[in-house]
Amino acid sequence: MKLVRKMPVVAVAVVAATMLAGCTGSEPDAEAKVVTEFPEEWSEPITIDVFDSLANYMGVQEGWFAKIVEDKFNMKLNIIAPNVAGGGDTLYNTRVSAGDLGDLIIVDRGTKLDELVEGGLAADMTPYYGAMTNVAAYDTAVQHANESLGGLYGIPTSVSSIKPTEPSEGIDPTFGPFVRWDLYADQGYPELGTLEDLLPVLKKMQDANPTADNGEPVYALSLFKDWDGNMMVTAKQPACFYGYDELGFVLAKADGSDYQSLLDSDSEYIRSLKFYFDANQMGLVDPESTTQNYDTLFSKFQNGQVLFSWWPWLGQTAFNTAENTAAGKGFELVPIDDQEIFSYGAEAYGAKTEMVIGSQAEDPERIAAFIDWLYSAEGVYANANQTAGTAGPEGLTWELNASNEPELTELGQQMALEGDAAVPEEWGGGEYVAGASALNTTTVVAADVDPATGFSFNYKTWPTYQALVQTPLSEDWSAHMDGATTTMEYLRSNDQLLVAPGASFAAPADSSEIEALRNQVKAIIVQYSWQMVFAKDEAEFNSLLSEMQTQASGLGYDKVLEFDMTNAQAQDDARKAVAAELG
Amino acid sequence: MTAVQVRAPHAAPESTPPITGPRPSNPPRRKSMVMLLCIAPFLVLIFLFSYFPLFGWVYSLYDYKPALGLSGSEFVGLQWFQMLVSSPTQLAQIGQVLLNTLAISFLGIAASVLPLGFAVMLNEVKAPWFKNAVQTLTTLPNFISWVLVYVIAFSLFSSSGLVNDVLVDSGLVTAPLKFLDSDQHVWLSMAAWSVWKTLGWGAIIYLAAISGIDQSLYESARIDGAGRFQLMRYITVPQLMPTYIVLLLLSIANLLNNGMEQYYVFQNAFNKEHLQVLDLYVYNIGMTGNSLSLATAVGMLKSLVSVALLFAVNGIAKRVRGESIV
Repeated sequence: MKLVRKMPVVAVAVVAATMLAGCTGSEPDAEAKVVTEFPEEWSEPITIDVFDSLANYMGVQEGWFAKIVEDKFNMKLNIIAPNVAGGGDTLYNTRVSAGDLGDLIIVDRGTKLDELVEGGLAADMTPYYGAMTNVAAYDTAVQHANESLGGLYGIPTSVSSIKPTEPSEGIDPTFGPFVRWDLYADQGYPELGTLEDLLPVLKKMQDANPTADNGEPVYALSLFKDWDGNMMVTAKQPACFYGYDELGFVLAKADGSDYQSLLDSDSEYIRSLKFYFDANQMGLVDPESTTQNYDTLFSKFQNGQVLFSWWPWLGQTAFNTAENTAAGKGFELVPIDDQEIFSYGAEAYGAKTEMVIGSQAEDPERIAAFIDWLYSAEGVYANANQTAGTAGPEGLTWELNASNEPELTELGQQMALEGDAAVPEEWGGGEYVAGASALNTTTVVAADVDPATGFSFNYKTWPTYQALVQTPLSEDWSAHMDGATTTMEYLRSNDQLLVAPGASFAAPADSSEIEALRNQVKAIIVQYSWQMVFAKDEAEFNSLLSEMQTQASGLGYDKVLEFDMTNAQAQDDARKAVAAELG
Repeated sequence: MTAVQVRAPHAAPESTPPITGPRPSNPPRRKSMVMLLCIAPFLVLIFLFSYFPLFGWVYSLYDYKPALGLSGSEFVGLQWFQMLVSSPTQLAQIGQVLLNTLAISFLGIAASVLPLGFAVMLNEVKAPWFKNAVQTLTTLPNFISWVLVYVIAFSLFSSSGLVNDVLVDSGLVTAPLKFLDSDQHVWLSMAAWSVWKTLGWGAIIYLAAISGIDQSLYESARIDGAGRFQLMRYITVPQLMPTYIVLLLLSIANLLNNGMEQYYVFQNAFNKEHLQVLDLYVYNIGMTGNSLSLATAVGMLKSLVSVALLFAVNGIAKRVRGESIV
């Protein structure tokens, strides 16, 4: 009886205790001591959580990169990737509310970093900065990034010693109209005055090649929706062929000569939507576009089911294998007479993504040492992946040859030309690509020169590599492109490249009202853009366009646009200033 | 086990308290105290899960930023509510969302006769193996998550799915039909998917009720010359009505809770306008759009509509039956 009577009380206590336990958080550690040199060895093994807003892989890092990090730092990387988890900022918000985002945080400066610093989730790196000698080589960028933070919280990524008015991209720009060159050649290299001239050519190419080798239908254009943000992402790309890039709802020209409101009926964005609409009317758009994701699209490119790519790193990466290029098949830049391709100048003060140490990190000193290593030449080579484009670790993928020039090893050639290679056991085994750094973060841009070799970190620029990739495809392309050997060379000699000086401009944080308005408006823009591309006739296209404009302005588009226009102007001022100062 | 069995006969008499006449009953106050303590855990649970979350409404008065916590976020008063009512487009959007919510819910309620009919029909099947097979097959979808249902839907109905492949290959259509990415009949197709998923599960309760029907009713009806369909019409269905009414009332109580998983997985640019229900709308604003405070303000709408519905039903009950629920 006594027990029975006490039961409710006990139950209440237990429930209350459980509830309260969920609400408590721990306080950050006390001040760390100043470090001037990192230890050579770390005795205790640890696993750190890396909250990485750029990663496309979630889980513990494996393979050769994991082995290098483990050998050097006795540390495993558990990568938490909001991109993989999906759902926008859900994962970020949940972890942030819990008071611990991660031990190493890779996040954008501006709104997020400011918030983390203010909320006490980021650790001040000042005590370790004295020992971070590799990072200190880019001190201007580091100081610039931390100017307003009242401490040293973020190390900017993609730092470089290249001039801000020079492209940061190496031999290929980020954007560009890339087509299946072999099929374009079959049509007799037709001249293209402007973007829309592509459509009839693509139509002929598609009609001549209705099915791919795997028996699936071929489409000139195939779209996807995963990366849609302020707008439909694939509809922004053609604007980049004309020197524009997005800043919120503004399309800003790289040289500051034009700012377009996204939804103006004559904006480059609407022009692209019309381009896709016309293409769809001609039967050139893959009907699966509406439901597929990037991975599906990528495998379609690999199978030769798509004829046009907005980026070299999609079409060429997927399809230009050794086998295909030897047969003369592959994606190459197509010359459009009026194109003026947008190029990102080397960011004088680094990219907007930064490396941050979490305030709850167990061993911040070791993480600081790890970050510092990522900025050393060894780290830059090792932190190679598809997007970074550096060569991989010396001794594994490349070595210096007899004439002291860097040259890909057999394994390196296999990796570069066939896409993957088996890694020997002493390097950790497994496949090369699966073992590459999943951080997906460029610390020092690959186009930078390694002082030890005198050549850039990007193997694609090495003369030894250029000689290696002479294929029927590249020879044919070069013959019809005034003898240019790389895309960049062609664009620069024809004055078709518009470099936006890298001013490391980060737009100030949206006020929460602007943010709420923006999120509602962008949902409408993305929704209607897709409907417009697949509209059944021109009348429907136009009525959807005006409906989109009314809906968007009803939800506060103009207010957000005004905010973005001010930012675009500020960005241009920053670009001009940096070009004058460092260009 | 054995030890207990052996000891039990001896132990029993000793442990029985000596009977010393009628036990004095506890004073009434004390008794009700015990009763109160007995229900206390449930009161606590109700408080924690039904009233405590209402505290979350204060988030709608702040400009909440997770990294800064509530105390570090700025107090903005009624800014979000003003924003909701300030523009006609915004109001129209919320109106459309409520319309979607109610339409899909009412279609669901209308479809609630289907499990009843299905159970009645299934009951008439005489071959046990067939009956069991049908019941198992129709119950299974209930245990599949909506994500997997979408995978099934995608492999069947996408533009390269089975159905389109068959249609195109057989020459019935020239271009693949857009089943998933179209704005046609969204409410109906959503209701149909949820019927497919829950039909067998919903029928279980009716099958149980059928087995509880007094067999003498059937016997006397048969003696009166009733045929098979007359038995169904005059005995089975009327006997199931009380169960049906209870379930109907419960589903009306859940009018606004049509969940979001189903709509979340099926949503795309083409069907979003007619598929976005209240729960999904709140999720899209709060989680995908990262405006947690605005989402809270919209979410409060659900409580307001629920309270309005409750009073409406209460009023009707008062007028029709002369007694009210609250």
